[in-house]
Parts: sequence; C-alpha cells; structure tokens
Amino acid sequence: MEGRHGAPTRDATRAVEASSPALPVTPPPPDGPALLEGFEEGVVVCDRGGVVRAANPAARALLPGLRVGEVVDVARCDVLARAVRDGVPEGFEVVVDHPGGERHLRGRRGAGLGTTPPPEPADGDTTWYLRDVTGEHARTDTLLAAQERAAFLAEAGRALHGVLHLDRTARRVVALAVPRLAAGATLVVRHDDTVIWACAELGGGRPRLGRLATADLPRVPALAAALAGDAAAGPWLAGELATLTGLEAPTGPVRACPVPITGVVEAVVVLADPRSVEGSADGDDALATVEEDLLTSYVARAGTALAAAALHEEQAHLGAVLQESLAAPRLPETPGVVWGAAYRPARETMRVGGDFYEVVGGKTPDAPAAFLLGDVCGKGIEAAVLSGRVRQSWHALRLVEDRPGRVLPLLNTALLDAVATRDESPRFATMVLGDARPTGDGSVALRLAAGGHPPPLVLRANGEVEAVEMSGMLVGGIREARFAEAEVLLGPGDTCLLYSDGVVEARGPGDFFGEERLAAVLPRCAGTPAAVLCEHLEQTVVSWLDGHDHDDVAMLAIQAPPVSPDPAPRSEA
Amino acid sequence: MTTASPPTASTDPGTLREAYLERLAAADEPGAVAVALEAIDAGVDPETVLLDVVAGAQREVGDRWAAGEWTVVQEHVATHISERVVAAVAVHSPAPAPTGVGTVAVACLDGEWHGLPARLLAEVLARHGWAVEFLGASVPAAQLATHVHRVGPDVVAISSSLPSRLPAARRMVEACAATGTPVLAGGPAFGADGRWARAVGADGWAPDARAAAAVLAAHPDGPWFADEAVAPGTPGDRAGREEQAVLHARRAELVALAAAAVRPGAGEVSEELADDLGHLVDFLAAAVFVDDPALFDGFVQWVGTVTIPAGLRTNEVAPALDALAAALADSPRTARFLRGAQGAHGGLPTPVG
Repeated sequence: MEGRHGAPTRDATRAVEASSPALPVTPPPPDGPALLEGFEEGVVVCDRGGVVRAANPAARALLPGLRVGEVVDVARCDVLARAVRDGVPEGFEVVVDHPGGERHLRGRRGAGLGTTPPPEPADGDTTWYLRDVTGEHARTDTLLAAQERAAFLAEAGRALHGVLHLDRTARRVVALAVPRLAAGATLVVRHDDTVIWACAELGGGRPRLGRLATADLPRVPALAAALAGDAAAGPWLAGELATLTGLEAPTGPVRACPVPITGVVEAVVVLADPRSVEGSADGDDALATVEEDLLTSYVARAGTALAAAALHEEQAHLGAVLQESLAAPRLPETPGVVWGAAYRPARETMRVGGDFYEVVGGKTPDAPAAFLLGDVCGKGIEAAVLSGRVRQSWHALRLVEDRPGRVLPLLNTALLDAVATRDESPRFATMVLGDARPTGDGSVALRLAAGGHPPPLVLRANGEVEAVEMSGMLVGGIREARFAEAEVLLGPGDTCLLYSDGVVEARGPGDFFGEERLAAVLPRCAGTPAAVLCEHLEQTVVSWLDGHDHDDVAMLAIQAPPVSPDPAPRSEA
Repeated sequence: MTTASPPTASTDPGTLREAYLERLAAADEPGAVAVALEAIDAGVDPETVLLDVVAGAQREVGDRWAAGEWTVVQEHVATHISERVVAAVAVHSPAPAPTGVGTVAVACLDGEWHGLPARLLAEVLARHGWAVEFLGASVPAAQLATHVHRVGPDVVAISSSLPSRLPAARRMVEACAATGTPVLAGGPAFGADGRWARAVGADGWAPDARAAAAVLAAHPDGPWFADEAVAPGTPGDRAGREEQAVLHARRAELVALAAAAVRPGAGEVSEELADDLGHLVDFLAAAVFVDDPALFDGFVQWVGTVTIPAGLRTNEVAPALDALAAALADSPRTARFLRGAQGAHGGLPTPVG
C-alpha cells in the first residue's frame, strides 16, 4: 500500500545508523580492512590528489565507476569529486545514475581511516562515508503525499459539512477541486426540477453559479447522461458545458465524475485538465491509483454534502412556508386607532409559537376594527398549527358575527368540533378578542370578550394603570363554557394592552416578571406611541429574562391617538 | 399660512439635522417625515438624509440621554420616529433593484435593541446594489443560523453599539463560520478601531454604514482583515470564556452585592442603579472575554460622565469596583481588570458628606 519504490534499504540503514557513531572515535583497528569490508555504509578514502586509496564493497556498489588507484572523478559523482578536491561540502545529498536506476546518495566527510594496507592514515587523506537513502526518500515522499491527500479530504469534509445550502455547497465543491484535482471544475446538480451549475477555474476568482430548468437538459445530452451516472463522457462534453453555462469551453481534456447516487440529488463534477489523467500518462500506476481514490472520495463527500443541503433546503422551505402563514401579521392603518404589537416566540429557531394576535382593518366607519390575542397550550410547531386553526376560525366568524361576546362561544364550539373530528386530545386556548370603534371625539370604544386569559390593562394618558377585570373559562375546553365581557372607553392618549402570560411568567434569575412589575413599568410609557410601548415592554421582559428560556411572549396595544403636543410648523399647514 | 419662509429649501445636512432634531424633541412623527422627504425632493441624496440627518440626529439623542436631559422613553419615542422616517424614505425613493453584487443579511447582536443603525446599514447597502435581508434588533444566534442555512447570504453584517454584547457576537460569528459565511462587524461595540471584531472572530470591521458599503464594494467576499495571522484562531480564549461565564451566572448576585456596598442601608435597590451595575458587570464580562482591560476602563470612565438620575454616581464607582473585586478574587483576569480600572481612576472625587 505504501508503495515502496526501489531499494529495500531499510534494515541496512538502520544497522549503519546504529554502528556509525562508533566510527569516528575508533582508531583504525588492526583488523581494519575486514571491518571496512563488512560495513553496509560505503567508505571511500582519497589522498590529497583525489586518487582513491581505498573503497569498501558498499561504496563500489553505490558508485560502480569507482576504481582504487584512479582519481575519484571516474566515479562520475561530481559532488563527491569536488568535495574531495576542495574539502567542501562536508555533507551532501545527490542523485546519481546507477545501472539499477537513479539512487539518492547521502555523503559526509568523516574521521580519517587508514587504507589497506597500511592501516595508518597518510597525511592529506580524506575519508568519505556514503549511504544509499533512495528508500528513505521514497518513503518520505509517499508519506507526504498521503498526508497531503488526507489533509485535502479532511479540508473538503470540513468545508462542506456545515454549509447546508445548495448554492453555497455547489460553489464550495468546485472551489475545492481547483487546483488540487484539476485546472477547472464544473458541478452540475439536478434537484427536483431545477439544474444548478457552479464553475471554478484556475485564477478565475469566486466560482460562478447559474441555474436552469430540467426542461433544458435535452440540449446537453452527454451531460444529462453523466448526471444519470454514465461516466463515459463523449467528445461533446466540453462543448455542452459551454452551452450550459454560457462560459468558454475548456480547451484541454475533460473528465466527467458522476456523484454517487444519493436518492436526493443527481450530480456530476466535470474536471478540466484533471491531474488523475496526467498521473496515468506517466505510467506510474501506483500514483494513478491513489489519485483516482482521492477523486472518488472527494466526489463522494461532495455528493453527501449536496444531498444534505438539498434535504435541508426542502425542510427549511416547509418550515418557512409554515412560518410565513403563522407569523405575526402586519398591523393595519386604522383611522382614529393606533396599534402596537410585539411578539417573541419561545422557539427562536422556528420563529413560530403558541401565542398569536390578529388585527383586521376597520377601513370604513361602520365596520369596526377587530382584534384577537391568545395563547394555545403547548409550544413550538404543534402549538403554532393549533393557533393557525384558531385564527382562521376567528377570521371567518367575525364576518358573520360582530359582537365579541357572541364570537367567543362560537369559536369555542368550532374548536371543540375540529378536535372531535380528528380523535385529537382536547387542546385549550386562552384569549381576549374584541373590536375598536373611534367615537369621533378622539376617543375609542372597545368591546372585549375573554376566556381564561390574563385581564387586559389600561394605561391612561396621565399614567394611571387599570386592570379590566374579566376572566371567563378556557376556550376549547367544554361546550357550556362561560366567557367574560367588558367595555372600555379609551380617551385620547389612553392605551389598552393585551398580553399573553409569557410576559408575566417570564422567569429571570430568581423570580417571575409578574403583574406588579408590569404595572410598575407601564406608567413610564404614558403618552408614548403604542408601538414604542410594546417595544419597551418586550425589551424590559427580555432583559429580565437575562438569557433564560422563556415562553412565547405576545403583546397587542390599542391606543386612542394622543392630542398632538406640538403641531409641526410646516409650510403646507 | 403658507407665507412662512422656505426653510424646506435647505439642503445643508447640518441645518436639516437641526430641524429634524427639533421634530424628534416634539415627538412629531409627521413633521420628522416631512423634513426628510422634503430634503430628498429638494435634491439631497437619500443616503445623506439617512446617514447625516437621521443617524446624526439620533447620535445627538443618545448624547442627550447620556447627559440626563432625556428619559429612556423619550429616546425610544425618538428612535421609533426615526424608524418610521427610514421606512418613509424607503417608500418615497426606493432603492434600485439589486445589481447582483451579492446578498447580505443584516442583524443586530442578541441583546442589542438599537436596531436603527443596522436598519440604516440595510438601506445604504440596498442603495449600493446589494440584495439585503434585514433581520432586526436583538437577533438570537439560533435564528441567525437558521436564516443563514435557509437563505445562504454571501455576507452577514452584524451591528452593535454596546461592547457588553461581544460574547453574543462570538456565538453569532461561530454560527456563520460553520456555514462558511464571512461576517462583517460594525458599530461602536467592536472598538474605535475594530479590534474587538477580531477578538470575536469576525472577518472584517467597518466603523459605519458608508465604510461598510465601501469595504463590501472593494471585496464582496471577504475576509477583510488584511493580516490573517491575528484573525481567527483562538478568539475568546479558555480563561476568558470561563471567567465570562462565571460573571454571567453570578450577575444578579454581583449587582446586589455592589449595590449594598455603594448605598448601604438604602433598602430596595433603585432600578436605575441596578441597571448601571448590571452594565458594569456586563462590560467587565465582555472585557474579560476579549482579554482587553481597555474595554472595561472605557466603560468605567464613561459611567462617570453620564448623568442618570438615581443611577450610579461618579463617587460610587470606586466602592462598586472594590466590592466586585472582593467577590471575584477567584477569577484572576477579572480581579486584575477590576484592580487596574480602580488604579486608573484613583483620582475620583471624594464622596460628598
């Protein structure tokens, strides 16, 4: 697996390394010649004229041209010849020609050893130790290459796994491929009835991206075949890419790598000038194989990431559509009435919850504006679906019955009937609903009905706070439920606040926010627009929470417009 | 009635800002809208109206609040009016269609309720060709993550005016980094030179909306910090995170402790004092988080200049710091910052009486 190219010198090297430290300090022993003969490390002794005085078999095997008694140059190793002549370099590594192929040779100058015979070193002799490090090099190269491939795949995994967005994933896939795998890369993905392409090229900057309908695929038959898993791309692939993307066709060789079937998306990566092809052209089969493996792994990762992104996109789309239909509504413009609202769902990720409010129009004087604020039991998406049912029922019911005191029992019946047809367990809601009618003198008359909900608060323009005492039973509980009714007259600048229990039950470090705190905060907001009042309260409640989890929070403020404190001196006045 | 001299003809941003501020002070929304729209009709660039008139006036509003001239509620009303003005400007002279330069999501840090600067940034970027998604004030990290996954913006711009929100910035940056979306930070929260933007791992920083538009125009994809060496690595180091978490968990206790030290025997802690002491702990936590005592020192200095009735008074800062230092001796960095801040302000006026 590790592809040991060439010399199996591992054991020899180890033996030499173990024994070499002893060499420099050992004076030539009497049986020196035999010792040298046995060395696995090559030893060459030259005199000051560069004539080889001794060379052991290992040295002669490494440098077959070496002849004792002739100048070292005949060994055809320039570095060694120069080192012998000039004394430098004292250590070197060089590639030498060898009948058995190129060898990597490492040499160093060592302590003088006597020649054989005599064993005493002559004046001016130099001794050189040579070692074959071809195998070492090959192993290092293989290891580095393997590390580089592993790092590339790890980086690809890291870069792809968290994206979860199809366009961005597509961009990433092609950006990763260049330049490691090819000079250019184009990804084509089919998801449902859309085809997305992304293209990156060497020095081309940010990957480009485009999309078209699947109906256009017949224009590019080879690509369509590749998308379906056929890797045998015809000669037209490059041209078809240009047709698809509108970019220039790659000039060099192209190669189609279909992404493994994931069941979610079909995809193919087309590489321009791929490296895997170069490798096989060199005839280096081992290298070509590992490059091919790398390409396969990369394509598999790309496929997984694309499938995950596509799945997530489908889910997110579902969620978004649901969210949109359940999200807090925009407040209408109603002559003579000022609205304000705040909404903070408990599950921040989905942005939907069990609290809700609705406000409708009041565009004409005889059709008053109607409003509803409530809370269904539970949290998250289930609660949101139930709240949707309540809202739709209310929207329909208020068209046929405008008295709040009559709408609420009807809503109660509607909810119970809906539950009965589905074998669902009973689901309750609490709510306040009503309508608002400007009286023409700056006041607003409210009719309210409530079931099981915290009583609305009225903030008078002078800062006084009154609770509208009304309770009533849970909505959706029993058919005979009784609900509360009340009427409130808001003078100019007065505000009626409907809120869900998430406001008073917001639990900060230690304590609930509570009705008392709410009633204490309100007077400071006297005279502010309804929207500011709600915003200020929301902020106060969230600060109170101090990062703790909370239930849904919903508020709706109905205000009679204050008398303008300082009419603007405008030119058109 | 129509004989009034034509002040509306003015196109000088300074004059317009004065007129606008006057309408804010009177809580006159129609008047404020009129100032803005009439300026645009008179030929003033909408961007100038948004940034020099509206944003400029809002800065003055902040100063008036800090000087104790305006209440929090007055400030909220003014901000509300300015938000309506921004909306009116957007309707009156809508931004041209996106030019395809990219998509940017603009969000305020979790806990940052001043949404107006981010809203203005969104308007300005839309006028520079960006497709903009404005996520609003105080966006939780989870919501931002959902949005980034679903919509896949090219860039996320986060805005905050309060350095005490920096730990939240870190969470938001991490949420974006997981998707490979670069984050451009903006606003005074990240320091006068943006140094804390690096500390929380953001990819770039811009001091204001105009600079952000310029930065994004030059490099739409980021990262914008030039030297990668300082950028992401281990921002919010372990010690910083741990000590910040301790401060966050003990916040209520520390506020009560400091309040008792500052006004012994006062009984019920006034809300203003509790707010100020809470900010003190928050800024300390943020400073510890980004490992920069200057952040805390800056706040301590600032608190001394602000006049909020019943809030933390200048001569109460030192005893509050003492009380905190005594309670937090187990957290070495926190204690060091507290001592440092105290030393730096040893010359506080002596308590009266």
